[in-house]
Formats: sequence, structure tokens, C-alpha cells
Amino acid sequence: MAPYTNIPLSPAELSYLHTSLAQDPPIRPDGRSPTQFRPLVAETDILPSANGSARICFADGTEAVVGVKAEVERTGRKGGLVRGKEDGEVEGEERGEDGWLDVSIEIPGTRDDDALPVFLAAMLTEALLADGELKGRLVIGRVWHWRLFVDILLLSQPLSYPLPLLSLTTHLALLSTRLPALISQKDEDPLFNDDWEASTHLFPRQPTTNEPETKPPITLLVMTVGTNILFDPSSDEIAVADAIVAISATEDSKDGGLKMVALRTVDPPSRLTSAGVPTQANTTAGGGLSAEETLKLREKDAGATVWRPPRGGVSRTVLGRMIKKVVEKGGVGEEVLEGLRGVKS
Amino acid sequence: MAITILAPAPAEAPRRTYHETDLDTYGEDEDEMEIDDLPSGHRRSTQVITPGQIVTDDPQWMRGHGTFAASDDASSAIRSTLAGTLQKTNKLLSVVPLRARYTPEIGDLVIGRIVEVQSRRWKVDVAAPLLANLLLSSINLPGGALRRRTSVDELNIRSFFGEGELLVAEVQSLFQDGSASLHTRSLKYGKLRNGHFMAVSGMGGGAGVVRSKRQIFTLQTARGGEVDVILGVNGYIWIAKHVEEKREEVGLNRLEETASQSMYSSQNDEISSETRREIARLAGCIRVLAEGSVKVEEDNLRRAYEASLELDEIEGEVRYLGGERGRNIVDMVLGG
Repeated sequence: MAPYTNIPLSPAELSYLHTSLAQDPPIRPDGRSPTQFRPLVAETDILPSANGSARICFADGTEAVVGVKAEVERTGRKGGLVRGKEDGEVEGEERGEDGWLDVSIEIPGTRDDDALPVFLAAMLTEALLADGELKGRLVIGRVWHWRLFVDILLLSQPLSYPLPLLSLTTHLALLSTRLPALISQKDEDPLFNDDWEASTHLFPRQPTTNEPETKPPITLLVMTVGTNILFDPSSDEIAVADAIVAISATEDSKDGGLKMVALRTVDPPSRLTSAGVPTQANTTAGGGLSAEETLKLREKDAGATVWRPPRGGVSRTVLGRMIKKVVEKGGVGEEVLEGLRGVKS
Repeated sequence: MAITILAPAPAEAPRRTYHETDLDTYGEDEDEMEIDDLPSGHRRSTQVITPGQIVTDDPQWMRGHGTFAASDDASSAIRSTLAGTLQKTNKLLSVVPLRARYTPEIGDLVIGRIVEVQSRRWKVDVAAPLLANLLLSSINLPGGALRRRTSVDELNIRSFFGEGELLVAEVQSLFQDGSASLHTRSLKYGKLRNGHFMAVSGMGGGAGVVRSKRQIFTLQTARGGEVDVILGVNGYIWIAKHVEEKREEVGLNRLEETASQSMYSSQNDEISSETRREIARLAGCIRVLAEGSVKVEEDNLRRAYEASLELDEIEGEVRYLGGERGRNIVDMVLGG
């Protein structure tokens, strides 16, 4: 509903939010705990004509739909010959190519080539390809492979940074993705079983429990204010963030825990705000200092009484703590995956 | 539990109202309605009218807001221009939109955000279709209310209000195009600080803030002292710590001066974490009311706040007022 979305918050608001979030424990504007997510509504397998699909809806009305489509494609030839074994490639090992996964994001109000959707798509692609397992699964034989199109559609205005919403929806859609069963031999022209019941999951499941053996990665948005680490920030909170990091984590096949596969920093909008004027230096509020005194006051104050945009980057210890909170045993990443496991179609 | 994931629920059945019996008397043909049976006054029918639909062709009715007469219709036919419900006031028929932007009216108390600073005025976002104007001559200048505006003030315009700053003001007049001109010439208006801003929908349709007797009130919270709530008619809401005005100065001129000193300050006072927590709780209550399609007004907000405290005592403290807890609060507000 807000018609002018890029106006900054006022210095008084920013200062209030920042001080609230920097307290121990932080007081978030909606009363959540630091690791609590906003409740969401989720369902999978909603599009009958797609190989896999999912929909997630946040309580504030933001909603995303993801459809996964798979297409059979002839593997690229090199020098007019069918791609053969390269040096050092072990017999039987299946390798795919990064280009076989095509992620596109559509956000209403932005063009396809805007920075935001392109950056988000690159971030999700990077996380999906990081462990190399997914592209390996797209190989049919030497001549043919699957090409996966992941179309992400944000149905509402992006009220807050939409990355976690899109990532969780993509996760669910890929989990529900099924590919038709292959009847023909591996290197022949492919022939598929047209019985959808016989199709196989892209992420194979255990036959007894129907639980997926491996899972696609999830990307979580984590922000810091002072020494506090907050998950699933709302747009108000992002406006005062000292640093925002997108951490992608996936299940580690070795020990069953989580491992980080990708990390990106997101430029917080708080850097673009202007600093507040202390009452002492405000000529209309009865103050008034020379330029030198004002500068001194501002530097010594360091954002304690009035808002000052954050400076510098995020320290290594804080970054380490953020990653640990996501991937540790019983951490936020595991809880999110556990929550997503319960989603039914 | 860090995350709660719910299964999608089927669409909620419409709330039964006392009009329900009236609906049965509507004719078989959807286009025809028994307007005579509709209660007069500000009670609305439950039937939704779509744009272009003929509301009536009975010549006894007059055309009100949201209706028009098409040139190729019979002269008495009234068509709707909006998607909304019919409202009858004596013989005047108007269509009230289901959801619309706020339309400013003279005397409305609104909260606005400065979008643009011009040479002698500010452009203010008040959630209306057009930006509102705030003239430099319609604010209280520091150093006495009767002081003349000078060229120094014009040069210093950003020290009064800068881009992004929030203010509470009153709609002074309306321009021809429907945009509003605001004024802050009272001690209760001016720049906002010490609190938290949130936006719900305002007057114009749907649940949200409605015009009521008091838009500004102070709430005594359980642990956090007094908290001021300003419900702008445009749906913008400000929840802030209550600051006692300094009354030690006597004499008319001195009072003006002390009031104006903090008037344009953007520095927050010391706010305890208890107060911050209560402000967050109030914001949660307002969000719950708006999501539960309940009017956001003083009585409902007080009741919702009491309900949230009561539920905390009965069922244990929950800071995040959403989901099940939110529905319980709405039920208690509607029930009590």
C-alpha cells in the first residue's frame, strides 16, 4: 500500500529500532525471539503440469510460487563428437554441467534484468550447484541429460528482502520434483514410462519411510545489530541492520549434520540513511554548535543517542557465530529443515 | 521451535450478520436488488456490486458517491463505478468501495512522512492518492507562535523537517484535485520521536483505523509506564513513550519556548526496555486487530491489550502475537 517505498525511515525511528534490537535480549518490533521465524503457510504439488511445485505464504501477505519443469536435452558435443571421457574422469562417475540448472525469478514491479532478481537467482543457483550432487543427478546417459527450469514467481510486492521466502519455496518445490522413469538403456534415445506413479523423485527417497535421503540446500537471511544475531528479519529490522548475510546450508551426507555451501553478504539499506542531529547541535531545537564541535560530538557519540549509519564491515567472530548458529547441531538450520519436512502436498 | 509452518486453510466463510435474512428477499436476477428493504443510514448491505453494474433503474433514488449514469441507459438508471457495497442514506444511493486509499477530509488527524523538501513547503506522504502539502507558514516556528516567517527559516527548512521524518498534523484544507494541505499549528502536532511507526489501512474501506472521538490517547501499561498512541485517520499509527511536558516554566512566552525546543528534535529520550517491550506488545495488538478485520480504535485496542495480558497470565507469556494467540485475542475483543 505504501506508494513511496524508497523513502528512508526518520532518524528517530531508526535510533529507536536500533537501540531496541541491540538490547540483551533484543526487543524485536513484533515481539519475536531472535531465532523465531514468522509463521508461514506452505503446500507442495500445487501445479499439475509441472514436475514439482510449491507455494509459501507469509502472514504479512507475501507469497511465492515455484514451478520446476524438466526437459530432455542432448548433451553438448565437443568437436563434432559426443562428449567423451575427459582426463582424470573416473569410469562410472556422473558429472553434470552448471548450465543445466536454470533459475529465473520474477518479482512484480521489477524488470527481469534488474539487479535484485538477477542477484537472487545467482545466489540460489550457487547454493543449489555448490555440492555438485544435483547436476550429477540430471545426467541420463552420455548423450542425453535433463535440463531443469526453476521458475520462481513472487506474487506480492517484496515487503521485506524476499530471499528466505524464495529459497524455502524452491526447497519444497525441488523436494517434490519427480522425473518420469527411464525405460530405455542409458545411452539410447531416451524412452520414458508414461505412468506418473512410476516416476522417481529428483531427490531420491527411502522406499520404506518415503523420507528424502538428501535435500536441496536452504538459504537463510541473517542480520546483526550490535552483538545480536537475528533470523528472518522484517523490513523494519533490515532498515537498521549493521550487516546482512545470506547463508546457504545443506545436509552433510557424512555425519548427518549441516554444512555451509554458500555465503553472500547483502548491502544493508541502513548505510544509505543520513545521520540524526543531536538536540545540542540542532538550531531549531534550541541548540547550535560550531561545525567543529558538531563533528566532535558526532564522533564521540557514535550512535548512542542519535542514529548514525553503520560503518565498516562485519567482524570475523560475529560472522563465525552467525554461521555456527545456522549449521550447529540443534541450530536454526536443522529446525527449519525439520519444519519443512512436515509440509504435505 | 524456530519456525511454524501451517497447512493452507480453506477460505473463511463470510461472517453472518443481521442482514442475512434480507439477502433472501433479493430477486432471482442478480442485477436486481431490493433496495427498499435495505436499512437506511450507515449500515451497508452484504451484496458486492461490481463496476458498471446497474444498481437500480427506479427513478426515486438519487446518485451518490461511486455511481454514474451512462448515456445510453434509461435516464433513471444508476450504475456503480466501484467494486463495493451499497449504502443508502434516505433516498441517496452510494457505493462504498471494499478497499480504497485514504481520501483526506478537512479536520482529519493524520500521520505523514516527508517525501520531498521544496523551497517553501514539504510534500508529505499521507497514504492518499496524492501527496499532501505542508507549507512553511503552517508550522509552529520556534521562538513564539506569532513570529513572522523569515528568509532564514526558508534556508533552514531541512532543520524543521527532513526527508523521511514523521509528523502528526491536521488536514487544514483541500485543493481542487483532492490533495490535502496540512498544518501543525498546535502543541499536540509536530515531529514524532520516542517510538515505533506502523501502517494499517485507513478510512476508505476494510478494517483499519476509523474516525473516532479520540485519535490520540495515553495508555497505562502493565510494566512500562505510560505509552502514547496516535491513530492517524489515514491508517498510519505511532506508538511512543509518553513524555510529560515540562510545566515548571510560567508565563505564556516561556511556555511557547520550552515547547518549541523539543518540537523539532530528532533525538530520542531515554526509553527503558520495559517500555520498549510494551510498545512492541501494543504494535502486536494492532497488527492482530488489523489482520482479524477488527476496527483499530481506542476501545478495541485497550481491550486487545488487556486480553493479551490476560492470556499471558493464563497460558504463559508469548511475546509474538500471531497465529493462535492472535486469534484468541481477536475473539476476546469481539466477545467482551
